[in-house]
Amino acid sequence: MIIILSAGSSVAESLPSKQMTRVRIPTGAFLNMEEKKLKKIGKFHDKYYKYLLLIPLLLLVFSFIYMGFFYSQNNDFIYKDISLTGGTSVTINGDLDSGELKQFLSDKLENLNVKEIYDIITRKQIAVILETKTDGEMTKQILEDYLGYELNSENSSFEFTGSTLGESFYKQLLIAILFAFLFMAIVVFIIFRTAVPSLAVITSAFLDILMTLVVINLLGMHMSAAGMMAFLMLIGYSVDTDILLTTRVLKRDEGSLNRRIFGAFKTGTTMTLTSLLAIIFALFVVSSFSSLLTQIFTILAIGLGFDLFNTWIINVSILKWYAKKKNEN
Amino acid sequence: MFQYLNGTQRKKMKIKLTWKIWLLIIILSLSLVSIFVTPNFLQKGVLITNVEINSTSFEQGLRQGQILKSIDGNLVETLDDYYDYIQKKFPSEENIKTILGTNKGEFISYSKNAPEITLSEYSLTNIKTGLDLAGGSRALIQAKDKQLTSEEVNDLVAITNNRFNVYGISDVKVRSVSDLTGKNFMLIEIAGATREDLKKLISEQGKFEAKIKEEIVFTGGDKDISSVVRSGHESGIYSCVPSSEGHHCNFRFTVYLSENAAKRHAEITDKLGVNSTPQGNYLSEKLDLYLDDKLVSSLLISEGLKGRVTTQIQISGSSSGTTRDEAIKNAEEEMKQLQTVLITGSLPFKLEIVKLDTISPTLGKEFIKTILLAGLVALLAISLVVFFRYKKFKSSMALLLTSVSEIIIILGIASLIRWDLDLPSIAGILAAIGTGIDSQIIVLDEAKSLFLNIKQRMKRAFAIILGAYFTALAALIPLYWAVAGLFKGFAITTIIGITVGVLITRPAFADMIKRIEE
Repeated sequence: MIIILSAGSSVAESLPSKQMTRVRIPTGAFLNMEEKKLKKIGKFHDKYYKYLLLIPLLLLVFSFIYMGFFYSQNNDFIYKDISLTGGTSVTINGDLDSGELKQFLSDKLENLNVKEIYDIITRKQIAVILETKTDGEMTKQILEDYLGYELNSENSSFEFTGSTLGESFYKQLLIAILFAFLFMAIVVFIIFRTAVPSLAVITSAFLDILMTLVVINLLGMHMSAAGMMAFLMLIGYSVDTDILLTTRVLKRDEGSLNRRIFGAFKTGTTMTLTSLLAIIFALFVVSSFSSLLTQIFTILAIGLGFDLFNTWIINVSILKWYAKKKNEN
Repeated sequence: MFQYLNGTQRKKMKIKLTWKIWLLIIILSLSLVSIFVTPNFLQKGVLITNVEINSTSFEQGLRQGQILKSIDGNLVETLDDYYDYIQKKFPSEENIKTILGTNKGEFISYSKNAPEITLSEYSLTNIKTGLDLAGGSRALIQAKDKQLTSEEVNDLVAITNNRFNVYGISDVKVRSVSDLTGKNFMLIEIAGATREDLKKLISEQGKFEAKIKEEIVFTGGDKDISSVVRSGHESGIYSCVPSSEGHHCNFRFTVYLSENAAKRHAEITDKLGVNSTPQGNYLSEKLDLYLDDKLVSSLLISEGLKGRVTTQIQISGSSSGTTRDEAIKNAEEEMKQLQTVLITGSLPFKLEIVKLDTISPTLGKEFIKTILLAGLVALLAISLVVFFRYKKFKSSMALLLTSVSEIIIILGIASLIRWDLDLPSIAGILAAIGTGIDSQIIVLDEAKSLFLNIKQRMKRAFAIILGAYFTALAALIPLYWAVAGLFKGFAITTIIGITVGVLITRPAFADMIKRIEE
């Protein structure tokens, strides 16, 4: 049992031939068992893979409707934070009560948002972060009046972004993501040189982004400039597994189609799960400290989750369809 | 279980070092050198990070960047050495003598108060952290209601650099940046300065005044200076001659004054006498150029200009160098420097600060601690998956070691090119390591394939890895220019990371796996 669990692969694969003598259990038994299991799953998949496409199709329709609704409500694709709308973010070192700050300053500072950050090991509060649409000078004045002491570089940090600049940053990041996507698509076309498989890869990456966006908006997360950068990372991660799958399925001819898909699935899920687990662990560490990293990691975690779904349902189904059609011709 | 081998088998399985693995080892060692061998390697002392301008120490020549080695003859090896001593000595009732011993000599001051300097222990590595981690101020400047052309921004950068020099602020980076929409900005980054310093310095272009004795002849701005000719035949080097020092080059350029300034010039120079020198006859007083009230240059006025109303004056000068090329270069630099001073305050736009960040250095350390811990935890998570999935100790260790060496090489290259690691850069490292692990998993799985020989299997693994590499590269390129380059760090570290991965670490990893599998 251990052996099957360990690598999900047959004993013959995982052992160099010299060591075969060390195995006491006849390998054939395991080979057959796994072969049988694989065949059963393969048969099931052969029968239903076209129907499997219905699930993402429904999600896609939902996502489009939701985003359309969202856009009509907010006139934008996301909720933006001050790094994209313009405003001031102030970090005041020390143990200040965020609730009190919010209560007293809400009517003076526009769109005020306050949170506390903690040392990751001692759990001691080390600072509060205030975010407001009010400009830097005014914010500083109001805070100093309230706190009764001067805010300098020893006890605080200020980050001010002008509103025109913030909006310009937002547009540029959108352009950057758009171009990143376009360039990625071109490279994918160059690699595979056939329309359907390339489009499958691109669709899967697009859906990763779209579905992540929907979840982010459902969570009510206010996106920062750094958060948008996470979408670029997502494009990279998402395409990795798709390229692996497409290469294994189309550019190889050993084993059955199902076997190649299954092989790619094992490798691909290991890749994604490793990244996903690393990100979730890291997210746990940074969540009390850095909202910036928290946002990047959250977006990546959601995106990678969807990537599992999109690659192994949509991309696999389209590829299988394509490969079967090609064989028939 | 079966993957644990006995002694003799282990010997047989011992990984032979191929040239790809050697290459990795060599690059890795060089990276470690690049990270850890600092200019102050094995030096003792503390780093002077700031010297209060106008303080006695500053006037004596004590500057940031120097290394404090002793105070009054007592060795200073740690910050405590210095502060313990200072606390006992100051404040005092009367002026007392203090000798600061540095790597640039001794500085003696007499004061009632402690020397106005800030110190820090110098870093043990060459890794430089960006402003958002190390603390400091950053401002993004553009013109009010106007799009700056790249020439205008370059002038602005030159003027601003001049002014920072005048103020003695050296740890400052001023550069022009442009973004995806083609907008040009001036980006200023200062390690130490406070928000107020920075705002004062950059909220205006600066003040330029040309005076004879105490009388203002003309000031910067189009009221007095119509234009400073900086190209064409009215500006440039006109002669170079061999001299005792090597070569000597003369430059000249024309400045057009307004009528008013020309009249003032005539009135003031009319009162002056004439001195005869071997080089020619000049007026008894010089034309002093002041930048923000500080004298930056003095020009001799030729006899012919005395009392003359002229809107066109020619400024000439010379510079020398050991070779002709060097002399030309020096003369050009000097000319440019003078021209920059003269156009200060003349640029036809007002400045606007569109982004101003002042980051306290205190939280930076917490941040680095958090990031390191997060990285460690992530690596632990990766190890868990990899050990669980492969149950092969050697391969899994090789994978982890490859990833760690990728981090080290990225940091080594960042140290080498003096790239400041800011948060986007660190996110970029994470992204590179993530894709690196993905690629290594592909190598591991391809190696297990039942078909072909191991060499062909590795070749196939690399076909996939290269595909992934080029898509990632393509996706990163737009980020290089977006948002005024503030996220450039992400693109740079990721590109370094994945390129190192494809060229060095992954081929080495594939060789390691080949040996392990064979």
